[in-house]
Amino acid sequence: MKLLLVEDQAELAQSVRNYFSKEGDVCEVAESFSKATDKLYAFSYDVLLLDLMLPDGDGLSLLKVVKENWPDMGVVIISAKNALNDKLHGLELGADDYLPKPFHLAELNARANAVFRRRKQDGKRSLSFNEIELNLDNHEVIVNGQTLELTRKEYELLHYFVVNQNRLLTKQAIAEHLWGDYMDTMDSFDFVYQHIKNLRKKIVQAGGKDYLKTVYGAGYKMKDEA
Amino acid sequence: MNLIVRITIIFVLVSLVVFLIGGIISFNVMLREVNFEQRRFLIERLDGVEERLKRRPVKDSVTWTKLRIVALEDSTEESTQFSDTLVMHNQLERMEPHLRVDAIRNVDGKSYFISLYDIIIEPDDIKDGLVESLVTMYLILLGAVLIIGFLASYFILRPFNNTLTVIKSFSLTKPDQQLEFPKSTVAEFKRLNHFLTEMTNKVKSDYQSLKEFSENASHEIQTPIAIVQSKLEVLMDGDNLTEEQLEQISFTQATIKRLSHLSNALSLLTKIENREFANVSEINLSEAIENMLEEFKELIDLKSISKTVAIEKGVTIQADRVLVEMLLTNLINNAIRHNVEGGMIDIFLKDSELKISNSGPALSIPVDELFLRFKKSNQSAKSLGLGLAIVKKICDFYDYEIRYENVEDRHTIQIKF
Repeated sequence: MKLLLVEDQAELAQSVRNYFSKEGDVCEVAESFSKATDKLYAFSYDVLLLDLMLPDGDGLSLLKVVKENWPDMGVVIISAKNALNDKLHGLELGADDYLPKPFHLAELNARANAVFRRRKQDGKRSLSFNEIELNLDNHEVIVNGQTLELTRKEYELLHYFVVNQNRLLTKQAIAEHLWGDYMDTMDSFDFVYQHIKNLRKKIVQAGGKDYLKTVYGAGYKMKDEA
Repeated sequence: MNLIVRITIIFVLVSLVVFLIGGIISFNVMLREVNFEQRRFLIERLDGVEERLKRRPVKDSVTWTKLRIVALEDSTEESTQFSDTLVMHNQLERMEPHLRVDAIRNVDGKSYFISLYDIIIEPDDIKDGLVESLVTMYLILLGAVLIIGFLASYFILRPFNNTLTVIKSFSLTKPDQQLEFPKSTVAEFKRLNHFLTEMTNKVKSDYQSLKEFSENASHEIQTPIAIVQSKLEVLMDGDNLTEEQLEQISFTQATIKRLSHLSNALSLLTKIENREFANVSEINLSEAIENMLEEFKELIDLKSISKTVAIEKGVTIQADRVLVEMLLTNLINNAIRHNVEGGMIDIFLKDSELKISNSGPALSIPVDELFLRFKKSNQSAKSLGLGLAIVKKICDFYDYEIRYENVEDRHTIQIKF
């Protein structure tokens, strides 16, 4: 996946780029409107991560330019303005998703991935991690040829892990991914634990390996240690 | 009370006092004049009697109507004395007050006692006449004042009323609105209109900058938070951290998240106050609540809370969807968060009345502070203390009636849509 991040905050841009690069995605950074258009004309990207507030122009006008010239490019708006108007306006102009700041890097990765896969026309739309295979169209999970019976939340959880494989997912990031912003109580962490326990059990029962590692004090990581 | 009515009433009262005082003064003046004329009339008659006595002296005493002459033996000094007396009036056949003069006159060296009287104009008669004419004048004045008042309010106050109509349509949330006050030739109204134009413009620009400030403050805070958040995540993903260090970072992340929520909630409150939610549509409240409960199902199950739901189908309201969802989320979230393990939630919707009750520990803050910002029963760091403030703000915004009741360990919030 090749991404272009348009973000004027260098520190944030660096974190995002490091995060994506770690698992083999290419993430380039443009810190202004003009640099972004230069890059867009020079190279091709799968997904554009767009901050709405840029020093030399409005992100929404850049979005218009992108949608006119590269209609197939996926766009995720990242904005500090959690303004409903901007969100609606952005989605109307053809953005695929809207993620308010501050966000978890894992969440950004999951959103970018979802946009990327949704826009990919060729081949079947699926994700896999060793013997675990997720069909993104009908939300079916197959382990060793056996279909898993997962609840919606369990599927979302597994999907989140597979997209962010080999990366740490904090309990907070998982809770927010599954239940949105209103789940800010510590209760939800027990809850995350419950869901992960069930998911593990189901995968192991189907003959899969337990890839969901607990990172004590922090969260979980999907990793093949062998 | 209408301005013109007030002025009219004051005028009527003042003129009533003026008429009363004026009436008393006129009465006294007229009484004095009448007395003076009457005395002169009696003195003239007295002179006439003297003339007669010169021509035809009286021997002993004579009595005519209203006149009595007595010849005195001794010569006495001349004197004149006026007095009031009651005499039977022939035509009226009742006792009437008369003015009487008793005088001693020396005619041709002889002294006479002359007593004359005649009917006088009574004070009562003067009073009756005065009252009658003054009351008539007062009534005419009253009519005139009413007519003038009506005309004045219609013609003179018309620019004022027009200005009022214009100012009524003033709204802070319409940034392009330019108030056009009708032209007036009256200096006071000109000043008023000028002042209003300046004031509304000032209010608008102040409001605009305040709005921009609170919005900017809110997202200017989010950007550094986003940087910290991403750095912490990168830090956590490193390999050489101990469990304790990771826990510290997790805690920091949670705190950062709270800061972000706090800023968002405050900016939301400002936005509601600024009436920025104007996408009113018909919302099926019954469905919205059902959906919301579905979303919270897991949380409710996790705390083993038993819920009783009685929702009437097809209850709709006219409101902004975002606000209604915010309202319901906050209420249900509160009912779960402040609940106890194995507690209960009761949700009841009928005829645009929503009742949500839940079990939970007693409040530690006074009930009337419940809906204030940053008032929380449990001072623990978990909740922001803004949930119910937002609920209250939304209810105020739509004029919904909200009530809180507490019976033992049951807390009920009731909203009338």
